[in-house]
Amino acid sequence: VLVLVSSPLPRLRALLQRCWGRLERGLWPSVFGGQSPPWGPALAVQGPALVPQGINDAEALSLPESMVWMAAPKHRRTIEVNRCRRRHPSKLIEIKRNIDVCPECGNLKQKHVLCGYCYAKVKEETRLIRMEIYKKEGRPFNAPTVETVVLYEGEKPTEKDEGKRIIERARKRPSWFVQN
Amino acid sequence: GAAWARGLLSWARPERWLASGSLFPLSCIHTSTSLQKIGKWEKKNRIVYPPQLPGEPRRPAEIYHCRREIKYSNDKMWYLAKLIKGMSIDQALAQLEFSDKKGAKVIKEVLLEAQEMAVRKHNVEFKSNLHIAESQTGRGRYVKRLRCHGKGMFGMMKISRCHYFVKLVEGPPPPPEPPRTGFDQAKEYVQQLRNRTLVHTL
Repeated sequence: VLVLVSSPLPRLRALLQRCWGRLERGLWPSVFGGQSPPWGPALAVQGPALVPQGINDAEALSLPESMVWMAAPKHRRTIEVNRCRRRHPSKLIEIKRNIDVCPECGNLKQKHVLCGYCYAKVKEETRLIRMEIYKKEGRPFNAPTVETVVLYEGEKPTEKDEGKRIIERARKRPSWFVQN
Repeated sequence: GAAWARGLLSWARPERWLASGSLFPLSCIHTSTSLQKIGKWEKKNRIVYPPQLPGEPRRPAEIYHCRREIKYSNDKMWYLAKLIKGMSIDQALAQLEFSDKKGAKVIKEVLLEAQEMAVRKHNVEFKSNLHIAESQTGRGRYVKRLRCHGKGMFGMMKISRCHYFVKLVEGPPPPPEPPRTGFDQAKEYVQQLRNRTLVHTL
């Protein structure tokens, strides 16, 4: 809800006067849906003549035509009514029934989503492999045109890895990283 | 020089001297935390029951824990508190882990802290054997700030904080109440009619 403080009052008054001017000059004919405007020879309110009550008089004169103005709540919504709306079952959080246990690590996971712990594990290892690759390449955009093979401690390149680039990682092979 | 001055000041501190009337020196009651009021929920952990008699059923352990001034809205936190009310602690942790709300992370930390406290200090044997008896939110201190709109207009917004209170009780969670059927309501109505008596008569 916008709470206006007293300082922008002249601006609001200027805005209202501009809107009134446009309506009277017929620049908003669509407001009444094609019918003639309901006011005929009505009084024109001059803002500077009534300095502090300029807004109030404008509102009072336009009361019969104020139906075209904005919708506003008529009564305060009581806390009982508010509670009925806020605590309706459709607004409460539903309990999730798709939570399982990951068979690898034992943490919880959602059925349609990868296990967060295992994913973080793999992500960390990938980051370290990428650091090794960066060290080997030296500078960015220096990737060779051959395939890459990651070898851990105590592993030798086989005859399948003939022309491939070898990245060494100084640790034991993790159980989830299967060697081809 | 500074050490000497500090030594002099420490000698001159009045609370270091004898308490009013007693011969024993004052223990350090006035620590830094006494300036902030200790809330009622924190004090609930300090009650000590008298020892139980041999024939009585075992009183389940109750652990009260809370977190104050969480930067989250009271109304939004209420939905999470309502979610976990009455669940076992494992189920509650599972639900909160996969909830997208900001308060879920905070409540999860609070529950884990409370579970840890239960095992260490409150003589709870199995950390899974706890359920959430009460989980409530309270409003914290609000701060009013200016929010700038276009055309030089501005409004006041409130930066809200909340507290979160939880009570863990040992034991499996109680079974949920069966929903009230029309038959129950009818039975109650008939019972109310039967309870009517004649007043001001013989």
